[in-house]
Amino acid sequence: MRWSELFPADGFISSKSVPVAFIIPFLALAETATADEAARTNAVPAVRDDARLKKLSSMSVEELINQKVTILGPTESISKTPAAVSVVTQEDIQRSGAMNIPEALRYLPGMDVGQIDASQWAVSSRGFNDQFANKLLVLQDGRSVYTPLFGGVFWDVQGAMLEDIDRIEVVRGPGSTLWGANAVNGVINILTKNARDTQGWLVSGGGGSFDRGFANGRYGGMLSDDLYYRVYGTYMNHDDTPLPAGGTSHTDWQAGRGGFRIDWNKTVDDLLTLQADAYGGEIHEMFITAPAFTPTADDMHVSGGNVLGRWTHTFSDTANFKLQAYFDRTYRRTVVFTEPRNTFDVNFQHEFDPIDRNHMIWGLGYRGTSDSEGNTATVSWDQAHRTENLFSGFIQDEVALVRNRLSLTLGTKIEDNGYTGFEFEPGARLLWTPTERNTFWGAISHAIRTPSRSDNDVIFNQPPGITVYGNADLPSERLTAYEIGYRTEPLKQASFDFTLFYNDYDRLRSTEFGPSPTQPLSTPFFPLHFDDKLFGAAYGGCVSMTWRVTEWWQLQPNYSYLKMNLHTRPGSTDTTTVTTEEGESPENQFSLRSMMDFPHDITFDCGVRYVDRLAMPAPLTPVQSYVTMDARVAWHVRKNLEVSVVGQSLLQKRHAEFSPTAILANPQTDVPRSIYGKITWQF
Amino acid sequence: MAVLSRIRFLPCLFPRGIAIRGPAIALVAILSLSVRVAAQEQPTDYQVKAAFLEKFGKFIEWPDNAFSSPATPIVIGIFVDDPFGSALKRFADGDTVNGHPVEIRQVKNISDLRSCHVIFIPASAKGSERDALAAVAGQPVLTVGETDDFYNEGGMIEFVIEKKQVHFRIRNEAARAAGLKISSKLLILARRT
Repeated sequence: MRWSELFPADGFISSKSVPVAFIIPFLALAETATADEAARTNAVPAVRDDARLKKLSSMSVEELINQKVTILGPTESISKTPAAVSVVTQEDIQRSGAMNIPEALRYLPGMDVGQIDASQWAVSSRGFNDQFANKLLVLQDGRSVYTPLFGGVFWDVQGAMLEDIDRIEVVRGPGSTLWGANAVNGVINILTKNARDTQGWLVSGGGGSFDRGFANGRYGGMLSDDLYYRVYGTYMNHDDTPLPAGGTSHTDWQAGRGGFRIDWNKTVDDLLTLQADAYGGEIHEMFITAPAFTPTADDMHVSGGNVLGRWTHTFSDTANFKLQAYFDRTYRRTVVFTEPRNTFDVNFQHEFDPIDRNHMIWGLGYRGTSDSEGNTATVSWDQAHRTENLFSGFIQDEVALVRNRLSLTLGTKIEDNGYTGFEFEPGARLLWTPTERNTFWGAISHAIRTPSRSDNDVIFNQPPGITVYGNADLPSERLTAYEIGYRTEPLKQASFDFTLFYNDYDRLRSTEFGPSPTQPLSTPFFPLHFDDKLFGAAYGGCVSMTWRVTEWWQLQPNYSYLKMNLHTRPGSTDTTTVTTEEGESPENQFSLRSMMDFPHDITFDCGVRYVDRLAMPAPLTPVQSYVTMDARVAWHVRKNLEVSVVGQSLLQKRHAEFSPTAILANPQTDVPRSIYGKITWQF
Repeated sequence: MAVLSRIRFLPCLFPRGIAIRGPAIALVAILSLSVRVAAQEQPTDYQVKAAFLEKFGKFIEWPDNAFSSPATPIVIGIFVDDPFGSALKRFADGDTVNGHPVEIRQVKNISDLRSCHVIFIPASAKGSERDALAAVAGQPVLTVGETDDFYNEGGMIEFVIEKKQVHFRIRNEAARAAGLKISSKLLILARRT
């Protein structure tokens, strides 16, 4: 791709402004040196220092923790996790201007996030992206939101009051040894704050050109010294996305969500948490429906709720246990299928040091999930109801080979599921920290994706007159992953993170001609069925950097590369899945985030992201590479009142990010340039 | 956007480059000056650490024999180099911890650490961190540090920086072994790992 293509004619960045962009960091760097010097030589006027110290001495420990500081001593230590991990903090979420979780993941190294239409997203890492990317496991406060129906995540019903999220932990690569099946290419764990940290009122609201209107409210209170709670409610209304040919798609939607969380520090060593959420939404979509295969406007109805309880007991600094149980209900009614699903999950985890230099974690879990599928002329299931029981256990030991310097982690998950029986997911990770500011790690892991309900027994009628059948004989998809990584902080202002991976996949899903070996023919249409005749490799790497240019300016560039080489086994008749899977993930991605703090509590943040083209074969629509920009300016008018304006996808009027999955065949839509304003008030 | 696209034509009026670079450089210069002022309004990490260090004592119960009388001062020892400037002394001035006046002492010799109630080992003394901890092992001395390895070496409270904020980890077992009782109010606020 040529440089000129990066900046389309209707964009407003001209190549003339590039030299300025390069000059600014250097000017700023010169500035840092003088600011640091000033701080060290105590050039700060004594009067101001006096007032500041007076204020500090009257602050409580909690207030001191929340105080932002200028760092002169040791800086934040680099991560010592032997895996490709990154964390989205509450500050990152706020400052990115994200309206939902997929948007909050956009600027993470190695993540691939594409918006399909107003409500649908494709989110994955290390390839195999799709509307139902089935190799990425997503959890919220320890509750799995990965649907066993298609395998994947319905992003349109995931969410929280974004202000109450503590952080989002993202692992790229297998997390199967701890999290089990479907944590093949990554794990996303969304963690909300302890109720103790969300006290008082927070009301926010706003609206704009694409996010038509939204309102959030939360109240956090204290019942006693050690018992805190919060209650929240959110509502949002999104506009349609535009169609490439002009006009709007029928994809606008609205959703509401509410819930509570109670945290009780019964003793200093016992934390009891009870939380619940409920949501509902009306989502407009277009589906191609059988038997006429005409586009049908749908008014999808989604609702659900969950209750989760957790007891964490701390024995000592290195020993604790967690007992957690949740009930989760989801309901989705569309013109192509209707699914109520109930899930119950209980799990136990124990961490301790059995002998010197060893840190062990083991756990046991049970999950029961029961569904009832409402069949339509387009999609039906061989079995109308199904209840699956999943029993699991894991054990992992971290051995300090050389104390504080070299450690080896060995472990495995063992699962017994209703589709494929017993599965083992072992892994080994080595961590070497030769100095405080250098971390090397390597890992070999085995991960699986268990068959989804639709892999197993779906009957799906597609234009121009074919029926795809599930296959109950399918084994799990398998991955052996080899990873290495290096993190370093050569300067106080800059840290780097490098990762390389080689993923060896086998028994990947293919679609073959002919009837399913396990299902009778049920339509006059031409039969296809799922099989396991795909294998191959995906490899690539990622480099990311955090550069604290000055005390008030931080830059985060990152680049990731991905290459997929998939093949069909002899005897396979599948001619499209290989090119579709290979085409659905971008080969190159680059992004740069800038975060600036100005005087008078004004912040300015912006990000530029480049995503390589997606070259899927027909009937999917290829997606051109794009560069776009998001920006946010916020002003703390008073300590408790913030006003912000966010612009998203600013560089062009609209652009396509991802093509809808063939399964649903709704038309491709573009992501529009958009702007919204928001007011946040805390009291 | 209309306004922005009009700005693109401005360079035609001036010699190339100057139109954009001149104002941009001026803007950056103004911003950095004003930002420098803003940065001074923020305390430094050592000022906040000093405030913590002075307050920690209020959450600790020492064994009875640690103080010879209620008037005996609680001694906070800074090992070798003091990174706090005047901050710690200012906080301690006139303050009391559980009735005891607070005394700040700079400690040059490892053997003198035992006579303190709280010791702080700054990053500048990293090389002798292990020896300093060994010198007070088993004594009712609250050990506070700030390097990556301090907690792993058996230190009781380690300051950690996260997102420009000062947090701390507590190794409660080490404190218990030394006969110190740390209040649950402080333990709950500590970072768990």
